[in-house]
Amino acid sequence: MTSDFRLFSIMLMFAALFLAPAAQAQNRLGNAELNVPATLVAESQQVKAGESVTLAFVMEPKPTWHGYWENPGDAGIGMSFDWTLPAGVTAGTAKFQVPDRLLISGIMNYIYKGDYAVLVTLSLSDAVRPGPLPISVKSEWLSCTDEICVPEQDELSITLQVVGKDASVVPDKKFDGFRAALPRPLGSEGSFAVDGDLFRLSIPLPADIEIDQPYFFILEDGVVDYAAPQTFNRDGDRLILETGARGDGFESISGILKIGDHNGFLVTASKGEVAMTGLPLTGESATNSSEAGTSLLFVALGGAILGGLLLNLMPCVFPILSLKAISLAKAGGNEAVVRRDALAYTAGVVLVATALGAVLLGLRASGAAVGWAFQLQDPRIIFVLLALVTAIGLNLAGLFELPNINFGNKLTRKDGAAGSFWTGALAAFVATPCTGPFMAAALGATIVLPPIAALVIFAGLGVGLALPFLLIAFVPAIRSRLPKPGPWLDSFRKIMAIPMFLTGIGLIWLLGRQIGTDALGLSLVFLLTVSLILWWFGGGQMKDLSRGALTSAAMVAAIVGGIIALPGQEAMKNQKLAHASGATLPSEPFSETRLSELRASGQPVFAYFTADWCITCKANEAAAIQRSETAEAFKAADVAVLMGDWTRPDPVISRFLEKHGRAGVPLYLYYAPGKEPVILPQILTVATLTELVGKAV
Amino acid sequence: MRNFPAFTAATIAAIALASPLAAAQRNGAIAQDFKLTDVNGKTVQLSQFRGKTVVLEWHNPGCPFVAKHYNSGNMQATQTAALQQGAVWLTINSGAKGKQGHMTGVEAKALIAEQKIRSTHYLFDTRGVVGKAYGAKTTPHMYIIDGSGTLVYQGGIDDKPTANVADIKTARNHVLAALKEIKAGDRVSVAQARPYGCSVKYAS
Repeated sequence: MTSDFRLFSIMLMFAALFLAPAAQAQNRLGNAELNVPATLVAESQQVKAGESVTLAFVMEPKPTWHGYWENPGDAGIGMSFDWTLPAGVTAGTAKFQVPDRLLISGIMNYIYKGDYAVLVTLSLSDAVRPGPLPISVKSEWLSCTDEICVPEQDELSITLQVVGKDASVVPDKKFDGFRAALPRPLGSEGSFAVDGDLFRLSIPLPADIEIDQPYFFILEDGVVDYAAPQTFNRDGDRLILETGARGDGFESISGILKIGDHNGFLVTASKGEVAMTGLPLTGESATNSSEAGTSLLFVALGGAILGGLLLNLMPCVFPILSLKAISLAKAGGNEAVVRRDALAYTAGVVLVATALGAVLLGLRASGAAVGWAFQLQDPRIIFVLLALVTAIGLNLAGLFELPNINFGNKLTRKDGAAGSFWTGALAAFVATPCTGPFMAAALGATIVLPPIAALVIFAGLGVGLALPFLLIAFVPAIRSRLPKPGPWLDSFRKIMAIPMFLTGIGLIWLLGRQIGTDALGLSLVFLLTVSLILWWFGGGQMKDLSRGALTSAAMVAAIVGGIIALPGQEAMKNQKLAHASGATLPSEPFSETRLSELRASGQPVFAYFTADWCITCKANEAAAIQRSETAEAFKAADVAVLMGDWTRPDPVISRFLEKHGRAGVPLYLYYAPGKEPVILPQILTVATLTELVGKAV
Repeated sequence: MRNFPAFTAATIAAIALASPLAAAQRNGAIAQDFKLTDVNGKTVQLSQFRGKTVVLEWHNPGCPFVAKHYNSGNMQATQTAALQQGAVWLTINSGAKGKQGHMTGVEAKALIAEQKIRSTHYLFDTRGVVGKAYGAKTTPHMYIIDGSGTLVYQGGIDDKPTANVADIKTARNHVLAALKEIKAGDRVSVAQARPYGCSVKYAS
């Protein structure tokens, strides 16, 4: 019975396959039936003769379905385009976004899991007449789940309008997002070698570019074994890849070096010698084999606990901890209270460490380049932390007593557990910037590990931080060895204010570096205000007057007022600019309006586009641009310098580069007054630049 | 169910012969020997065909790319041409139980009759041992072994990686071309080509 049924279903399946052409015809009518439906959109409906317009195939795979990159990997098929274009219109090659990979039982697929866009630029000749411009394209692609594949096709069309030279064209903002996911071309070429079973590729990438989990997607088939693990070494300004080879016979190759979600570089390389030098990067072993992942998790967890333990000795944490420990010792006989307190403290530490970790992972997932202690990148948080550290310092110095942090004999009071919890939370928050070198490796591992495992590491850090406390609470022997409380405790507590104030000074320095002296002055005034409020509060305590509510209100007002007065993003940018103007050749940030302003005023302009990850750019800057000869010549000729930083994708710069026929940096432009811009060569010398100005004058 | 013991034995034999799991086989090297069970429960060993040219074809009836070549009759015509020149054609199904394309012996026999599949044997490689030893990635994925047991071709059936039947006419059939060259005593001019199609549905 069952086999009859199976036979029937097989026949049905084949019947369906025979009917496939009919089904495809239907697909063309309404692409809702496709598993990876495609929509054709134009960056702008209007286009001018002699210019170009970018079209996007917006692909929206249904859940569990995926589409393929240009090179599909071991199995699968890329996308094909069969254009029908009016005379005078030509289509460029399709540009694909940075792909994902999918390994199923040893078969590697290069795919797109979520929505993606494939971009094609159409160029119009000068002869195209104004009016409607019908574009149609027959495209085929393969849609698969982990289990099955369905070849799909669609005939897509769109009608653009050719408009006159003076008409305004509004580009679709969506395309900024599409472009941001395209790989950015590295300024310089790499080299590759095939040696028996080994494929090696050397990619020029500056040493200070952070990469988490690189993967190289090769475009040419038959060169590498797609499913073989890729290992990476870092040797100065080169990133070296080693993986399994499949064959030889190419003189040059290309591909995408992926360094994050939708973040990658377009790499080209020619045949040469490549040696595996430098230091290994943690490759994909952690994700590929769960065993390695588990052992990595344990090593990293051990590192995190040890790191957390060491944090207790840091100037910013030690005072809190040592006093807490002694207060515990003082509780002496009341075992239950001591334990409850220690557990509450641990809960506070672990919760805050894990929460900070979760925020970090969330930010990373959303594409922000953040590291541990990221909260210190925001001046407002430093500001609050500064107030907190100072208040604790003043408290330790004896200016006032804080009801929540239990020193003295208030341990038995009802709020003991809550107080301990908040002490722990505070300790974890202040401790993060101290993590430094001890934690680097363990925290690095969190980047490679899956999110849950990463959170375990962060929790481990918290456990380590709370460990001495737990020991004191649960091992009476340790507690009995702690020095007995006495009058010396008061002096000790006051001395402990010193590291707290030192931490405060450190934070002020950090704040000054971030937003300059104005903020420094403001923060010092703020600190004085805080001190005065607390002094007044302490005075009240001595006279047994409760000024708690008023003090809290005054503190909140001071902090909120301080944050509002604190210069924000704008000031940080200015500070950066101040650094830039301190350079040998000062520059202004690039913008098209500034460029046209300068050109209108008849000033010669040198505009350059660079990125931190572009070696050619950095080399040119060191060798030709940031040189006193160049600076003097430019100054003499009154040349304005504009600098466009493309380190992070920037749609304004992307569009500008595209307009000048460049897919990436470097781009050097010189605008002599009243003349068309000159595109300078990609390799600059001091002479190129100075002669330029010499001629112009 | 009757075939189960024989099937198990064959699978064990296949493991013994094919392990250690070599990565893909190399052209010019002796092709890895293997033993598999066919639709009738009969054990077939590669080395028993020494002296004859052997074509290996990876198959999955649910794959649209396989359907392209069977619905159009292209694969059957290639099989007929191979058999006419005295070659042996082994169709191998590495689809794991529960995955797309997996069949029982009865189902496969029905399919062979229905589609007029002309292969000498239709073999089951449910555990994927032989498929992985050969580095078979797609369905179809073709291999040709000459009379001396040397692997002389591996790759796709032709050079038009589409699911479109109309492309068969204009494509170069790599297998037919290689068979012709072998018959004439020439070197196989295209010994390696990109395979295309669905991924082989191995047991993970």
